[in-house]
Amino acid sequence: MVRKLALQTLWVGLVTVSLAACGGAAVPQETLTAAQASVKGAEVGGANEDPKAQLHLKLANEQIDKAKKLIEDGKNEEAARLVDRAQADADLALALAQQSKAMKDAKDADEQLGKLKKKLNQ
Amino acid sequence: MSRAMTSLSLLALLGVVACGATLPPQELVDARKAYDRASKGLSAQLAPAQLDTAKQALDKAEKSFEDEGVDPPTPDLAYIAERKAMIAEATAGKVAAERDAEKADKMFKDAQIDGLDRTKAELNKERQAGEKTKAELENEKKALSAEKVARAEAERKAAAALASLNEIAKVKEEARGMVITLSGAVLFATGKYELLPIARDKLDEVAKALVDQGYKSILVEGHTDSKGKASDNDTLSLKRAESVRTYLVSRGIPSDKIRASGLGSSRSIADNSTPDGRANNRRVEIVVEPLK
Repeated sequence: MVRKLALQTLWVGLVTVSLAACGGAAVPQETLTAAQASVKGAEVGGANEDPKAQLHLKLANEQIDKAKKLIEDGKNEEAARLVDRAQADADLALALAQQSKAMKDAKDADEQLGKLKKKLNQ
Repeated sequence: MSRAMTSLSLLALLGVVACGATLPPQELVDARKAYDRASKGLSAQLAPAQLDTAKQALDKAEKSFEDEGVDPPTPDLAYIAERKAMIAEATAGKVAAERDAEKADKMFKDAQIDGLDRTKAELNKERQAGEKTKAELENEKKALSAEKVARAEAERKAAAALASLNEIAKVKEEARGMVITLSGAVLFATGKYELLPIARDKLDEVAKALVDQGYKSILVEGHTDSKGKASDNDTLSLKRAESVRTYLVSRGIPSDKIRASGLGSSRSIADNSTPDGRANNRRVEIVVEPLK
């Protein structure tokens, strides 16, 4: 019984030591939440309607998933770096979606103008 | 140039050797390329803030590469720097497109206003044309009614002329036209063919009536009674007819529309055995072929 307790203590001690060895980085919860919010924002911004934006949205999602697994495994530092990458991809996805939308609007406006001009010249 | 390149390459090689195989990670290569592209494009003008953020991210990655080499977080920072450069490019693209759209919108509105103005001008033109047509119709109507008035006036004048003729001569409608019969006693002295002064007055009225009434042609016929030689009578009747014709021409009847003929006693209208009958036979007839 005493031996068992001693073993348990040893285990706890070992786990503590191993955590300390990892630098004891905190779970990147804040940046993860922010990245997830940015992904949502990019989706709402139309990232799924533009191929390039969609690619970066996908990368962001994959990296978030991976980061979550790493957090489960306690690899917080590695997870934090992936979350930062995911954030960059989510931001890029939104920017690309917005660019695509603006270009489409410009094209539409140009077409409308062309149609009107044609009509007026009839 | 190529020598400088060679020296640079050599230096780089030396550096690599010195640092011990510190080739930049692919992420950093990509990030440098992306930033280079963005900084040479529209971003500097249209998305300067985003381009600056990208620059800072790239600097951070380069610093990490210097300090840590290819180890984390260098690749992650480079990965992020590349995306920041791409964001700057996309933002610039967005702004440029927005400007294009704004320009097109403005042109659209201008064209619309222009179109409206043109439509308005065309409508005005059409309305003016319509008003012109209306005015023309009005004029036509006026002209028509003026013509009607003129015709009524002409008819009234003709009727008045006929009435005044009836007062001075006998007027008869015959198949050959309107026949105005003037008594020879009123026109000429016996055996003469010069017009008497009173004859001139009468013929003035006849001429006026003829001018008022209108005609196609006029024939002046001289007639005598049967006394005396027929050849003398023929000559006298012709001379008398010509006297009348000449006078009427002097009163405005065109000479090409009026002829004279002497018929002697060939067309007696009364008994030559009585003085009254002979008096009636001595006459001048003016035959008027009316206008159709």
